[in-house]
Amino acid sequence: MEDRPYKILVVDDEPDLQPLVLQRMRRNIRAGRYTFVFAGNGVEAIEQLNADRSIDMVLSDINMPRMDGLTLLEQIPKVDPNIRSVIISAYGDMRNIRTAMNRGAFDFVTKPLDFKDLQVTIDRTLRHMAEWRDALTARDKLIALQNELDIASNMQKSILPTTFPVSPAYGVSAHMEPARNVGGDFYDVIALQGGRLGLAVADVSDKGVPAALFMMSSRTLLKGAAIGRNNPGEALGEVNDLLIENNETAMFVTVIYAVYDPETGTFTYANGGHNTPLVVHPDGSSTELPLTRGVALGVMPGIEYQQNTITLEPGDTVLLYTDGVTEAMNSGNEEFGMERLRQIFADKPPQGPEEAHRDVFQAVHAFAGAVPQSDDITCLTLRHAGA
Amino acid sequence: MQTEWEWKDEAIVARVDGRVDGANAREFQQGLAAVIKASAGAVLLDMEKLSYISSAGLRVVLLAAKELRTQGSKFAICSLSASILEVFKISGFDQIVQIYGSQDEALAALNG
Repeated sequence: MEDRPYKILVVDDEPDLQPLVLQRMRRNIRAGRYTFVFAGNGVEAIEQLNADRSIDMVLSDINMPRMDGLTLLEQIPKVDPNIRSVIISAYGDMRNIRTAMNRGAFDFVTKPLDFKDLQVTIDRTLRHMAEWRDALTARDKLIALQNELDIASNMQKSILPTTFPVSPAYGVSAHMEPARNVGGDFYDVIALQGGRLGLAVADVSDKGVPAALFMMSSRTLLKGAAIGRNNPGEALGEVNDLLIENNETAMFVTVIYAVYDPETGTFTYANGGHNTPLVVHPDGSSTELPLTRGVALGVMPGIEYQQNTITLEPGDTVLLYTDGVTEAMNSGNEEFGMERLRQIFADKPPQGPEEAHRDVFQAVHAFAGAVPQSDDITCLTLRHAGA
Repeated sequence: MQTEWEWKDEAIVARVDGRVDGANAREFQQGLAAVIKASAGAVLLDMEKLSYISSAGLRVVLLAAKELRTQGSKFAICSLSASILEVFKISGFDQIVQIYGSQDEALAALNG
């Protein structure tokens, strides 16, 4: 409720009404609950509403010279659609009452005026108006929030590559499905010297515009470090130290970053607090790569990131993903989990990089059913064809 | 999700239950902020009844750890279920925050 008294405009050509209202409502006026202003007809009422934007409510007679109450009802929303009107009608005049209600009157009272009833009607109208105003404020806040999330969502989409390098030696593909409340997953495929590829999947903590900004800088720093350093562990260490500068909000990003050499099939990865990659073999069996015990980036300076190298066999597919995959929930509150992820390929070995992540998304959707997606889901796949 | 707390000797023991995710991380943060404000030396976060924690929740734990370190207070967590412990291990946060198997073990270390 506002601190100032509600201001009610009384419109009637009957000069007796003004002293009567002031007299009968004097307690409420003295208590600071209402103030009254008066107009003699619809034209004067509109002039007053235009001149004084603090009027909350109109109480109007119907039959008046120059502009009657029913015409006034049509004019009020043009001045301010949030003003509520109550009509004073002759007792039993249902035709005019119905017209008034159709034209947006909130309520009516009948003549001769019963001031007790009038006060109840005024209070109800003002209460409704207060709730209406609260709802409007809430709606505005919601719109502002939605705008913010849209900005974040667009930022996120704009940085994800949608075309991928093509080679007879390998295939690579990736996909991200954002949750409704933007999280902050991203992936990247970076062409490096000597035909090698840098592959990254990352997940920023928290959501909204601050998380999206953090994601943008993480991605840019990672790309720079990837091109500048041959070694994934060193690249993550460099990004970590850069992210820590000015990170008062304790945001962090988990990253898996790998360098793949198509010529030798070597796959060297370093892990900053991220889910470990899965390697799926041509027969549908799979191997979880060992964790390298790295801390999420942006948390603590000076961390050295360990790395690990494996050699891919022809036909192996590496799956980099975020916890949106493994922590997707079904209606029974179960997580999708690692076992179900592996089972996808046990049943149907990957045919190609695109098919592989499509199968993952399909399985996760089928599992989650109608449960809304609470986190971004990202999956990057690399298939090593071999020489 | 709910956060309750009590004094045990010199330490405050805060218990969080249910799920902590993006939807209620702020609420969790406010709960911990009250604990941090009241604390005088040591805070233990008991996660026995915690069923799930997302990265937004981990961030709140991290913020608490940083804040308490700045204050010169000790901080630890205890009684993590296998799946929650896994989350701390994967994110590498087990290297940032002291983790104990039980409340007794943690309190002995914090109050000792």
